[in-house]
Amino acid sequence: MTARLRAPGLHRGLIGAALGFALAYAIVLPVRAAQGLHPVLDGDAVTIVGLLSAPLGFLFGLGAFDYWFYYLTGRPTRPEDHSGHGARSWKDYFRVNTDHKVIGIQYTVTSFFFLLVGGSLAMLMRAELAQPGMQFVSTDGFNGLFSVHASILIFLFVIPVFAGLANFVLPLMIGAPDMAFPRLNAVSYWMLPIAGLMMMASFLVPGGSFSTGWTAYAPLSTDQPIGQLFFTVGVQFAGASSVATALNFLVTIITMRAPGMSFWRMPLLVWANFSTSLLVVIATPFIAASQFLVLLDRALHFHFFDAAQGGDVLSYQHIFWFYSHPAVYIMMLPGFGIISEIISVKSRKPIFGYRMMAFSLLAIVVLGFTVWAHHMFVSGMQSWIRIPMMITTAIIAVPTGIKVFSWLATLWRGVLHLDTPMLFALGFLTMFVIGGISGVMLAMIPVDIHVSDTYFIVAHIHYVLFGGSLFTIFAGVYYWFPKMTGRMFDERLGKLHFWLTFIFFNLTFGPMHYIGLRGMPRRVADYSQQYAGWNLFISLSAFVVGASTLVFLYNMVSSWRGGPRAEANPWRALTLEWQVSSPPPIFNFDTVPTVVGGPYEYGVPGAVHGVFRKPGEVRPPTPAGGGATQVARE
Amino acid sequence: MEAASAAHAHVEHPPEANRSSRVEPQLLGMLLFIISEVMIFGAFFTAYFFIRVVQGDPWPAPGMEIPTGPVAINTAVLLSSSLTMHWAQTSIKNGNRFGLRAGILSTLFLGICFLTLQVNEYVHVGFAPHDSAQGSIFYGLTGLHGAHVCIGLILLSMVTIRAFRGHFSAESHRGVEVPGIYWHFVDVMWIIVYTTIYIL
Repeated sequence: MTARLRAPGLHRGLIGAALGFALAYAIVLPVRAAQGLHPVLDGDAVTIVGLLSAPLGFLFGLGAFDYWFYYLTGRPTRPEDHSGHGARSWKDYFRVNTDHKVIGIQYTVTSFFFLLVGGSLAMLMRAELAQPGMQFVSTDGFNGLFSVHASILIFLFVIPVFAGLANFVLPLMIGAPDMAFPRLNAVSYWMLPIAGLMMMASFLVPGGSFSTGWTAYAPLSTDQPIGQLFFTVGVQFAGASSVATALNFLVTIITMRAPGMSFWRMPLLVWANFSTSLLVVIATPFIAASQFLVLLDRALHFHFFDAAQGGDVLSYQHIFWFYSHPAVYIMMLPGFGIISEIISVKSRKPIFGYRMMAFSLLAIVVLGFTVWAHHMFVSGMQSWIRIPMMITTAIIAVPTGIKVFSWLATLWRGVLHLDTPMLFALGFLTMFVIGGISGVMLAMIPVDIHVSDTYFIVAHIHYVLFGGSLFTIFAGVYYWFPKMTGRMFDERLGKLHFWLTFIFFNLTFGPMHYIGLRGMPRRVADYSQQYAGWNLFISLSAFVVGASTLVFLYNMVSSWRGGPRAEANPWRALTLEWQVSSPPPIFNFDTVPTVVGGPYEYGVPGAVHGVFRKPGEVRPPTPAGGGATQVARE
Repeated sequence: MEAASAAHAHVEHPPEANRSSRVEPQLLGMLLFIISEVMIFGAFFTAYFFIRVVQGDPWPAPGMEIPTGPVAINTAVLLSSSLTMHWAQTSIKNGNRFGLRAGILSTLFLGICFLTLQVNEYVHVGFAPHDSAQGSIFYGLTGLHGAHVCIGLILLSMVTIRAFRGHFSAESHRGVEVPGIYWHFVDVMWIIVYTTIYIL
């Protein structure tokens, strides 16, 4: 029994969390006693320290730092015997695992769990909003609902699910056996459930959950009940996780590409994750810092945002949006990559303007840092900032437009295969264009002032994040499902899922443009009678969107358990991940492939992206891809 | 779930990854990490900028005095620790183990001296973070830097333990080089913090 408790794993993790919490008492009590503070035992103070120390204790217990502990004490580190690679039973997904494929699945499944949590909160909100007046929750409760809904879906679903898909696919795509830092990869995954559970746990504490929206503007957030801390600290863990993953992706992409894979032969998904990771490494520290400042204001009574003491309230918004506007692209660029893969494969044509696609990603990275203050047109900031920000915001639509036109040109006269991944890709294209156009409208200062804080904003963000990001996520999950699980999904259920989601998504969020223009404010639990009809309609449609997710879930679970076995390359794709078996072998490749051509030469006779050469063998190369369904290296 | 199970007969070890860049992965990882650290400081400097430049509040706040003199000694201590770190790094590159141990120990010592002097300054500076926004900025930026000195010291103590257990050699000294880069970063950051908070 003791041996079992000492071995790394969930048991030891829970003990570690308990010890971490005990440590919080051990730190806080003497400090408060020494400072002569009353009362010595203060729940607030202990919670703040405990929120940081208990998760770290959990990670230690789980064994996330074991190797480094051996390293730092100079003891012989256990040489990597690769026994941690692969997952032989479902229990292996609950351990620290250094295999990028296991981590990718851990990431994806965890994120979808949080999608369900965030989605359920949205259902509760729509239930409350179905009629004017108060029915199910209090006004504070409603504030908590939309705050946790947004925070969980942004920090625990959209951002990490892209990291999860890329974790699985990206090393395979560039011909690498694993990520550059496998142990860091494992740590960055395990910080996610911590952040998510923290945000969910905020509902249980006195005073209720955090209720300041996902933006947590100071000084509102510095004098809220204790639940606010669960956001402040939870974001630190989610942010640390995404910085670590981004760093890992960048190093992997730069140093571990297969021979012959120059930057201009990388699939666009790799380009997209390269750009996203740059954004994450540069921007995410800003939200970490903004929440540190809030934490200091709240816990130690600093005055960064306290105007009465000389603090500057608007500096919070500047710091926050300097991260959170690039974050919009962090939530979108990987999706662009997924769509580029799918549209090229499913229309059997080379991607149009490959280099422009890559350059426009980089342009978005650069321009993404120049537009943050367009979120603050009505904040009372210096008015001279407005016009430059309006212009840069309009300009950033140009690279995005280049991508949209390139996708359309790729589709043009292609041989379209309208299966589930492609349907979601096309759904993304149409919906994202609507969201993008309302975005350009919002960039215009007069329009922005008119519709600020109305349902028009809600409609815009959901067309971009739901019709945009979530559709790409669904497309990507369907597209790589055969590779990740070795099973095929049910195509009929997939199509049902698409049409239900597509139609009722539009019925839910389309009318919000209208009621927003008519002046219905967002973030309110009650509203005037004149919006009652539309709100009932929206709520009913939203429930169908919610139900359509159940179709997706059923399809995924049942196909994973008992779907027909997937071939190695069901989509006849050229990129490297499809040239190995489904699911991929435990070390990805027996020998690292050699890349001899571009990734998207569909419809070009005899085109080959990568070949597998056996050690010592020179010629003839086995063509990989180009319609070959069997694994070439066997 | 047999999702990622090894249906295929697999080899015992993964294939050697192709090295597509001359940059060492660990070095690149540390540089990227430093970029994100710079951005954290950037955010704190943004708060400083808004209070001191945008609002144009007096610096330091009326009745608050920032001691420039003693901190010059502190700066000298931290800067010389960069030199000793460099000494340790060049020593091990030439296979000089004594130089490595002496260099890393003196770096560690100087780093601890810096932190002690900093805490001493906090005790005697005569204002608290909750006195004014300027005080918050002062403690926020110097405290953030102090936290980074702590991280650097933890890394350095790792190096020290391993150096005294005979771990590094002229051929393999990445474990000294990478923490060394971080330590130099902490020093450079201090110069910026020192200039903006104390001198300007």
